Amino acid sequence: MLSKLKTNAAVAIASRVNVLYCSRSFLSRTLLCTFLLLACIATKAQAEEGKTYTNSQDFQLHGFISQGIIDVNGSDFVNDDGELSTELTEIGLNISYQLTNNFRLAGQVVYLDGGNRYAQGARVDYALLDWSAFTDEHWQANIYLGRFKNNHWLYSSSRDIPFARPSIILPQSVYFDGFRDIAVGSDGIAAKLSHSTDEYGNFDFQLSYGSSPISDEQTKNILSEYAQGSAEQDHDAQASIYWQPAFSPWRFGVSLLDAGFTYDSAGPAKGDFFYDSDFTFQFYTMNAIYEGEKWEFSGEIYQQRFTIDGFYFPAFKLDNIGQGFYLQSRYKLTQKLTFLARYEDFYLDKDDKDGKELEESTGGAIPYYFGFHKDITLGVNYDFTSNFSIRAEYHWVRGAGRLTPVVAPNPEINNSEDWQMWAVQLMYWF
Amino acid sequence: MLACLVTTQVAAIEVVTHPQVTQSSLTKSQLRRIYTMRQLRWSDNHAITVFVLPSQHELHQRFAKERLQIFPYQLNRIWHKLTYSGLGVAPTIVKSEQELIQAVTKTPGAIGYISEATLVLLRQSNNDSRSQEPLHMDEESKVSSQGVVNVVKIKD
Repeated sequence: MLSKLKTNAAVAIASRVNVLYCSRSFLSRTLLCTFLLLACIATKAQAEEGKTYTNSQDFQLHGFISQGIIDVNGSDFVNDDGELSTELTEIGLNISYQLTNNFRLAGQVVYLDGGNRYAQGARVDYALLDWSAFTDEHWQANIYLGRFKNNHWLYSSSRDIPFARPSIILPQSVYFDGFRDIAVGSDGIAAKLSHSTDEYGNFDFQLSYGSSPISDEQTKNILSEYAQGSAEQDHDAQASIYWQPAFSPWRFGVSLLDAGFTYDSAGPAKGDFFYDSDFTFQFYTMNAIYEGEKWEFSGEIYQQRFTIDGFYFPAFKLDNIGQGFYLQSRYKLTQKLTFLARYEDFYLDKDDKDGKELEESTGGAIPYYFGFHKDITLGVNYDFTSNFSIRAEYHWVRGAGRLTPVVAPNPEINNSEDWQMWAVQLMYWF
Repeated sequence: MLACLVTTQVAAIEVVTHPQVTQSSLTKSQLRRIYTMRQLRWSDNHAITVFVLPSQHELHQRFAKERLQIFPYQLNRIWHKLTYSGLGVAPTIVKSEQELIQAVTKTPGAIGYISEATLVLLRQSNNDSRSQEPLHMDEESKVSSQGVVNVVKIKD
């Protein structure tokens, strides 16, 4: 039965990857969804036929599928024409296979279509070897090798799991979709140490070191559509610690990040306007979450430092400290119905919160409202069953500080300080 | 007060394990650690396999709140994070109490929960089949004096 399951998963993944690259239209997306649903139903049926639970935790197959509609007015967050869009598709399939007592293999493939938010297509979300180095009643130590997910921020590991994150669109100042593929994880090594005691509660300490590949499309998204050269991430080092006091509804966390990038210009001969450059990005966060029976409160406060050495011209230097926070509340009216309210406030330069200097220093080429991003969000979530939900939300956004491209923004399309969006998403998972 | 005690006893939820699991009692925090996947081995170092009912199942809701003192949505979050970020393995979800009993019976190292009423029924049918066919008793039910599953005592 195990081999059957495996074959099924492999077939599902392979067929999907083939299908994915030509699925620009809604029709093919629908076909893809149907296919995946059938695949998972077939797999489940097979598993039930066998009625053996011996391997239930040794081999696990899980996935999710979601489709929504999104409408953005006043920015190019999703599309350039401002029309209602179906570019809100998220599909994932993962396996976990226990090799021995201490070693486990795990991997997930996701297909994402979010319009301008990130590159459309399939990607390997994670693919890792998990070594359970030590485990007893109070301690767990694990080493992860391969491509692992960023697990350091409040919602970084669930940001592309539709039903596991709090809203369809997350606070963009932390979970910026333009940085998604770089921030969501790394190729390298990660370690997690967990300690649980009755006196002091639960501690989770994590370290990770690696880098992410950067595609040409992403280079254009982050830098500029005129960047013809190639961008690379040299390193990404992160650490975080979480603490939940014993039997407490509160949890507190702190995280640190240091990353370095380089840009190799294709040169003026090939039409590249930009020069060789180094970028560094540092990001520090503190977060807290309260989980009560009806009410839930969470928030993250953060500071980032972004430096550029080169790019516009060889001697160009920039060193900006940005700051922000968001506060979020959820209220569970019934077991199935949850409301959400959130306020987010972020500015790219703490010495230029209203963006006036940005506008002056660029001679008006970049308007002041590219210096900040504020978002008020209201949303609602309804769970039809234990694994089928619908979600809807509305965002009132002020500022263009979290729109792509980042380094050389596009004020022609994003010509308004205020913009709004709404979205509705259906989600199924198994 | 007495009436209240009686009612809770009638509606009690029992924690059950595979008959070969030697641990006969767990503290509340041990049980909580096991279900939040913070303790993965029994005291004899055998792997624990955790079974649960779907999150909207009435018995699961009660088990989470009464036995684990944690809200079902919190458990979902912990498990979703493990399952969909590759960090670890979440409990296996089965559809009904009957399926859960079967799963716990067949899986060495398994832990699960059932309502006391179901457990009583299970013991009766087990005793019936024993008295009718004493020679055909299978190896598994001999291991435990209590029947096909162990009932674990939960201490404060």
